[in-house]
Amino acid sequence: MSTREAKTDILQGTLDLMVLRTLATMGAQHGFGLAQRIQQISGGMLDLNQGTLYPALLRLEHRGWIRSRWGVSGNNRRAKFYEITAAGRRQVERESEDWARTVAIMDRFERLTEME
Amino acid sequence: MAGIWMRFHELIRGARLDGELDDEVGLHLQMMEEEFRRRGMSEAEARAAARREFGGVAHAKEAYRDQRGFPRLESFAKDVRYALRGLRRSPGFTAAAVVSLALGIGANTAIFSLFHTLMLRMLPVAHAEQLVAIHRTGGWGTGTVSLPLYREIAGRADLFNGVLATGGVAKVRFVAAAGGRDEFAQQEFVSGNYFQVLGIQPVIGRLFTGEDNRVPGGHPLAVLSYDLWRNRFGADPAVLGRNVIVDEQLLTVIGVAAPGFHGVAPERHTDIWVPAMMTHFGQAMSPNMWWLMPLARVRPDVPVQRVRAALDVLMQQHLRTIYGRSYDSAMRKKAIEQRLEIREGSVGLSMLREHFGKPLGVLLALVALVLLAACINVANLLLARGAARQKEIAMRLSLGATRARLVRQALTETLLIAAAGTAVGIGLAACGVRVIASFLPEEAGNPFSSAPDLPVLGFTIAISAASALLFGLGPALRSTAVNPAAGLRSGGLDRAGRPMLRRVLVVAQVAFSVVLVAMAGLFGHSLLAMRSVDLGFRNQSVIAFSLDLPRLWKGNLRQAQDQLMKTLAATPGIYSVSCAFPGLFGGGSSDATIRVPGSERTAMEPVDVDVAKIAPRYFETIGAALKGREFDRNDTATSPKVAVVNEAFVREFLPGEAHPETRWLSFDDSKPEGGSRTSIVGVVRDIRQDGIQQKIAPRVYTPFGQGDDPTFPPDTLVRTALPLAAVRAAVLRELPKLGAGTAVAEWGTVRQRIDDSIFETRLLATLGGFFGVLALLLAAVGLYGVMSYGMAKRAGEIGIRMALGARRADVVGMVLGDALLLVAAGLILGFPLAWAAARAVHSLLFGIAAVDPLAFGGTGAVLIVVALGAAFLPARRAASIDPMRALRHE
Repeated sequence: MSTREAKTDILQGTLDLMVLRTLATMGAQHGFGLAQRIQQISGGMLDLNQGTLYPALLRLEHRGWIRSRWGVSGNNRRAKFYEITAAGRRQVERESEDWARTVAIMDRFERLTEME
Repeated sequence: MAGIWMRFHELIRGARLDGELDDEVGLHLQMMEEEFRRRGMSEAEARAAARREFGGVAHAKEAYRDQRGFPRLESFAKDVRYALRGLRRSPGFTAAAVVSLALGIGANTAIFSLFHTLMLRMLPVAHAEQLVAIHRTGGWGTGTVSLPLYREIAGRADLFNGVLATGGVAKVRFVAAAGGRDEFAQQEFVSGNYFQVLGIQPVIGRLFTGEDNRVPGGHPLAVLSYDLWRNRFGADPAVLGRNVIVDEQLLTVIGVAAPGFHGVAPERHTDIWVPAMMTHFGQAMSPNMWWLMPLARVRPDVPVQRVRAALDVLMQQHLRTIYGRSYDSAMRKKAIEQRLEIREGSVGLSMLREHFGKPLGVLLALVALVLLAACINVANLLLARGAARQKEIAMRLSLGATRARLVRQALTETLLIAAAGTAVGIGLAACGVRVIASFLPEEAGNPFSSAPDLPVLGFTIAISAASALLFGLGPALRSTAVNPAAGLRSGGLDRAGRPMLRRVLVVAQVAFSVVLVAMAGLFGHSLLAMRSVDLGFRNQSVIAFSLDLPRLWKGNLRQAQDQLMKTLAATPGIYSVSCAFPGLFGGGSSDATIRVPGSERTAMEPVDVDVAKIAPRYFETIGAALKGREFDRNDTATSPKVAVVNEAFVREFLPGEAHPETRWLSFDDSKPEGGSRTSIVGVVRDIRQDGIQQKIAPRVYTPFGQGDDPTFPPDTLVRTALPLAAVRAAVLRELPKLGAGTAVAEWGTVRQRIDDSIFETRLLATLGGFFGVLALLLAAVGLYGVMSYGMAKRAGEIGIRMALGARRADVVGMVLGDALLLVAAGLILGFPLAWAAARAVHSLLFGIAAVDPLAFGGTGAVLIVVALGAAFLPARRAASIDPMRALRHE
């Protein structure tokens, strides 16, 4: 329980960017693999209910940023693989810029507090 | 775009995708478990950890499914399925709700479609809103003007941007090609500028101009309607220049008018337009012949007040020029009192609107009340249903359903009820329109559009939607306002225990019924009053018709008529045959100025009286009492002149005369003492022959065989025990002997003619009665529902009362008393409304006061009886409660 308190809830809307960025760099993934990667990259700091991944994947697919197809996983099991589309890559660029801007702005405010 | 296709795919393949999601999630959990096992967990631990990390499996799947396809649509479809299941489970409720709504919507649609055609639909012409009708009032007939007067009005360019005139639409014989067969078509005589003023364009050829209407009889031209051109001529452009025979005139087709234009009368569909100068009226140019109806385009810069004032002046000058030196002072006065009125013209010129517009408005108001009552009824049924489902609703709320979702579901149910009610209602409206049509006399035209009218359909859908909201929203909110905890407890009907809202609704229902029943009573009583008017003749089953002779017919009318009557009189089964002009309830009038020697009334100047020419046995045929003698075959052109007068004549000209049959009158009005004698040989009872509401006036009857030759075919009257068809066959057998092309017109019994003459009152009484019965039924259902529900609630209380010694009669009395209380409240609310309504329809009533004791007293009595009837079953059920059982249940 004590580890749980240190974990952060996913900020609204950031899961999409995490998924897209992960798929963009790691290539096609099935749901479990994607969840593992996200957990790994966050260094175990995220409190991710892995089940919430699936509605998010469907949402991204509806928007045309990712696509899915059934394939065979490493140990010969039928699994659904997700990969990013060209539109998804453009979206990653856009959102990354937005995100960087937001971080920069927040950073300035943080420093303002330090100055006082 | 790809998203939408994907969603459609998801919508259709929902079940398969559910399976795929299960697979995907299953694999995910499995992989997680394996991962945890690799880290050294036991199988059970690994499974638990995997579940924990994944979060709620069902929740995730639900969130996934919520996004899939078209979530709103799917949840709506689910609601519809759920509602359909619920409605199918309670067929009684469904039927009651749908039927009451269908009746309300159907009646509204039927009346409104008529109202729309007659009162609201704008003419399909450019800037219809600028049009005004110029309507003559007073004098002889109303509405029409003479040709000279029309020309004066049309000359006022300072007031109008064009004034057209129409001679009205009439059904005439029509032959499409030389040698072709006789058909019928609707002909309209119009001024030359008719199409220009309306802004109608030709499809082919050209339309009339002012040049086409200059010389009487000089413009044998015709313009066809688009419909006639398409249906009769196959839309052949070669129709231009062709000859057609219209009402026995050879006319050349010069053009076809734009599609959708059927003339300026909403209840008629003109097929052929003909220049007014081609009319057969011998006196078309006379200032005494009123036959044209003007429709004018008012100049936008001239206020209506100024037009009105200018027309007043114009009319007075016109009348003084023509009648100013008339020697008959009564006629002069009557003539000069005529006026020109300005009326709304954008909806066309309608004779039917003149006398049917107001009854139609009343019907529309009544029918709206019926719909309101129906809505209240459905609301009441829904409330009862909601109360019965409280437990279910409480259960679903406590299982996590949101109230919004439950309200949405309840509204879906009402939407389905409304949709079903609308569908059935539209079907009923079609029947209703047919019923109304059966009341309209043939000459009233056909105000029913054959094609479904978009505005009418819009109206229907709008009132259905409004009703659904009206009856659905309240109950939906009310029945979902349940406290889950309390609702689930046994009994669990705490909120619905006081059905106050339902009682209020029933009171409102009763109040509406009071208005509708009182109106039905008023119109019914009014009709009875009309029916009981003494018409002066008894035999209403007499068959009446007239010969329809071709204009080019060269025979002698009197001889032909005599021959026809002789043949018919010799037919077995026919008691007597006669003829008259004017006849009974057939329109037409005839008058003459007379002197009555010895009467003070005509001592100074002659007096205008109604006259009629009748054949022998006329009064016997129609069953009118006569003192003195009827005309017989000896009253010929060469025998002494004789007359029969009515009682009003004696009262007016020979008051106190005990033996009028010894006196005489004279049609020679030049000298006070009269010229050639016409002896009075009989006095007949006053006969109302033009209408039930006709004022009794002096009338002189002269023999058909004497005097000038008749100009119009008279009404032939046949008293017989034979069926109508047999007499018609006998007449048709005789027709060819009278000459080629002769036909029968205005065929029917006198009773049918009388019915036609009061069709507005009959329609009001019949439909009003139907609406009244409907309202009573709805109120009875509402009362019954509330009473039996209240009964079920109070079963325990009644059980205790009976255990304590209350008798069955007391219990029955208690329930009936409760019902009467509701009715009393409804009556108190309803009577003032009914009184106001009665005052509003006062002008449509005949022979009774607006606050008619019979109608209003009857309404109260009927409602009390209905209330007692509706409460009787619940009361009896209450009285047969077994106290032990009721108490144990408690």
